[in-house]
Amino acid sequence: MTKTKSIAALSMAICMMASMAGCANNSGSGSGTAGNEPAATTAAKTENNNAGGEAGNEGGETTAASGDVKEFTAFFAVPGNETNEGNDVQELIASKIGAKCKMTWLTGQTADEAVGVMIAGGQYPDFIDGSTGSQQLIDAGACIAIDQYWDAYPNLKNFWTEEQWNSVRNEDGHIYIIPQFGNRWMYDTETTHNDEAFWIQVRVLEWAGYPKIETLDDYFKVIEDYIAANPTMEDGTPNIGYEILSDDWRYFCLENAPFFLDGYPNDGCVIVDRDTHKAIDYNTTDTAKRYFKKLNEEYQKGIVDPETFTMKYDQYISKLSTGRVCGMVDQHWDFNDAEVSIKSQGLDDCTYVPLGIVIDKGIEEHYHSNPALDVSNGISITTSCKDIDGALKFIDDLLSPEILTLRNWGIEGEDYLVGDDGLFYRTEEMRSKANDQSYINQHLCSYSYFPNYGGMDHDEKNAASPQYQPKEFYDSLSEPVKKCFDAYGVQTYVQFLNKSGENAPWYPMWSYSNNFTSDTPHGLVWATMADVKHEYLPKVVMAPDFEAAWEEYMGVYNQRCDIPVFLNAIDEEIQRRIDVASGN
Amino acid sequence: MAKLAINKKTLKNQKTLILMGIPFAIYAIIFCYVPLFGWIMAFQNYKPKDGMWHSKFVGLGKFERLFSDDTFLKTIRNTFCMGAMNLVFSTIFAILFAILLNEFWTLKGKKIIQTVSYLPHFLSWIIVTGICFDVLSMENGVLNQVLVALHVIPEPINWLAYPKYFWWIVTFAHLWKETGWNSIIYLAAITSINPDLYEAASIDGAGRLSKIWHITLPGLKPTIMILLIMNIGNVLNAGFEVQYLLGNGLVQSVAQTIDIYVLKFGISNGDYSLGTAAGIFKSVVSIALIAIANAGAKAMGEESLF
Repeated sequence: MTKTKSIAALSMAICMMASMAGCANNSGSGSGTAGNEPAATTAAKTENNNAGGEAGNEGGETTAASGDVKEFTAFFAVPGNETNEGNDVQELIASKIGAKCKMTWLTGQTADEAVGVMIAGGQYPDFIDGSTGSQQLIDAGACIAIDQYWDAYPNLKNFWTEEQWNSVRNEDGHIYIIPQFGNRWMYDTETTHNDEAFWIQVRVLEWAGYPKIETLDDYFKVIEDYIAANPTMEDGTPNIGYEILSDDWRYFCLENAPFFLDGYPNDGCVIVDRDTHKAIDYNTTDTAKRYFKKLNEEYQKGIVDPETFTMKYDQYISKLSTGRVCGMVDQHWDFNDAEVSIKSQGLDDCTYVPLGIVIDKGIEEHYHSNPALDVSNGISITTSCKDIDGALKFIDDLLSPEILTLRNWGIEGEDYLVGDDGLFYRTEEMRSKANDQSYINQHLCSYSYFPNYGGMDHDEKNAASPQYQPKEFYDSLSEPVKKCFDAYGVQTYVQFLNKSGENAPWYPMWSYSNNFTSDTPHGLVWATMADVKHEYLPKVVMAPDFEAAWEEYMGVYNQRCDIPVFLNAIDEEIQRRIDVASGN
Repeated sequence: MAKLAINKKTLKNQKTLILMGIPFAIYAIIFCYVPLFGWIMAFQNYKPKDGMWHSKFVGLGKFERLFSDDTFLKTIRNTFCMGAMNLVFSTIFAILFAILLNEFWTLKGKKIIQTVSYLPHFLSWIIVTGICFDVLSMENGVLNQVLVALHVIPEPINWLAYPKYFWWIVTFAHLWKETGWNSIIYLAAITSINPDLYEAASIDGAGRLSKIWHITLPGLKPTIMILLIMNIGNVLNAGFEVQYLLGNGLVQSVAQTIDIYVLKFGISNGDYSLGTAAGIFKSVVSIALIAIANAGAKAMGEESLF
């Protein structure tokens, strides 16, 4: 008995020594693995996700060849794609900055499991993104505080603004994670507007001679004229001027336009005054009244579909899919299915373009916004990293202009060509190669989970990566849409709208109101507001006597909803978010 | 009712029956009684992160909230009215249909009609409401087309936009779906009436109508009573799907039932306690309704449930 025990103890000791030796070896030579088997999933979704560096386990050759190239290890707790040994772009970057990184991805585990195992073992790769396990890593003391070291690394330090860094700070005031995504160089270069807008069909614009449409009155005038001249489609189906979806939670198509019309971004539940930082209820503004009055007029004229308020979502989509509906307010993701169906029927002139409609000329619209910064996860440098300065320099170098172009576009002459005007373009062959996974694995390396920019390339001429290059996008459009784009001098859907600016520190407030529960006083007011609006807004639009209906609505609204309670709660949250962003 | 004497002997004799009954008793305990434990939530300010054990008790606070909420009082009215309309009309139509079917002259025709009439019972509400939408549509709905062609109305009406039509639409949808099915039990009851009675009536010179009035209907009376009592307990189960699917903002003040209220406040808005309180209220009222109906039936000397 005692003998067995001591044998067991001995073997344990040997195991531990062996593993410690392995660890010591790990960061020094960089030949250790990140504790997880290499991922080989084919989950490459976007170009962002499909490159992954490989600096070999048996990397003797490469390391020797390039002299003193440092090799780091990284683990990302998301599924990803391994790149091949000796990947072209990775080697090229290594020869320029003297470092590379072997990246491993999540396989067969959840992020929390993988991270939990590492925490239990106390051994980490040099870089880690714990995904949903990020906070666990910080709590376990696995990450180093980047803000203690970063003064020598300006690309990294300036990657986010000070406000944004503040919102990433942990409770102890230090920064442990670097959010990689959602950063735009110069401005946003998204090609499609996935959010809310007043949408109008290409054929309506074409018929009207591509007029400039700015205000609500302009918008309905064009639709009215079009319907008067073209009561039916070619096959005799009657055209519908305007649809208002108001099914359950999707009634935003009816109710939230007033803040857009006043030139505010989609905070969802309120307007936030840009100067006083106080919340304003958009339901009772003059603009709201004018908007609903306009809808009422159009309803009486028969431009608004009389059935619109009793429609369910699927009925709405099937109506849109016929191509009969000239315009509506909606989020693009909400009616995307209908547009796909329209295209499949070859009715490309019945697809929609977004318009940044405002109530009066001269108001600056904010329909398009940058995605909000996700502060919940990012890449960290771990306590297992023996060369913290080297690791920070690696991230910093990856953010330098030349390397960014290499990561995002590839190698000039092989993956893209440069036109006389300095614009990058690809041949058909290059495009198809860029979609070939085995080619990507051997050739491209975007270091996708290291910090990277969207928007523009640092040359300030091209988009940060091919899928955002307007010309590349434009070439894929159908004829009627191209004609429309030409007439307005735009190359992407987003260019129909104003460029998105910096997000305010409190944006978006809907991320707060979406979590309201009705057992709090303000949550109850919020629920009651929705209840009243669901019933009365359609009534107001349908009423033969608008003024009386509006008065009744306002009476009920003010009597049943204790608005100040709601606004106070929002005000507090706005202030909290401002404080967080300014580091208090 | 005579007291049942339970002794060892009967237990022994009915061993097999008891064994067969056990699974159902277990079923009832697990799915009907154990969940009652969750009623505790109605007296707490339940938060999922605190769980049932650590949430704060608020006594009857949630019930006070419930009854000071106009919307909830309206949902009680809606539920009760739609339930009552449904009960009255479905009973009447089922009995009428069963009698008419019974008088049908060929057996084959009777069978075909019976089969066709109970088929809608097997459709789910989502399909039935889809049919409703099509029938009531302004653009090519049958109802509007017929009424306009007959000059009853000058132009198509958007039926679902007016609160005054909503209860009737719901009642009619129920009738279309369930009349055939509900009539089966009455048909069965009619066949069990002694044919001698009809013969005797014929000899006495009774026509079809007087035979229905004097023999068929009295013969159906016990069945009608039992079903009525059982269904009264279900009045507050007036429905969820049909109102939820047919409803919209314009008619929500008449369309919202207790079940929809529970979904809205309990699940969507995260006030689980309030939802539970509303559910308890519904159960208590249902039990009370059954007791009242039963007592009424007893007082009138009719069949009763207990």
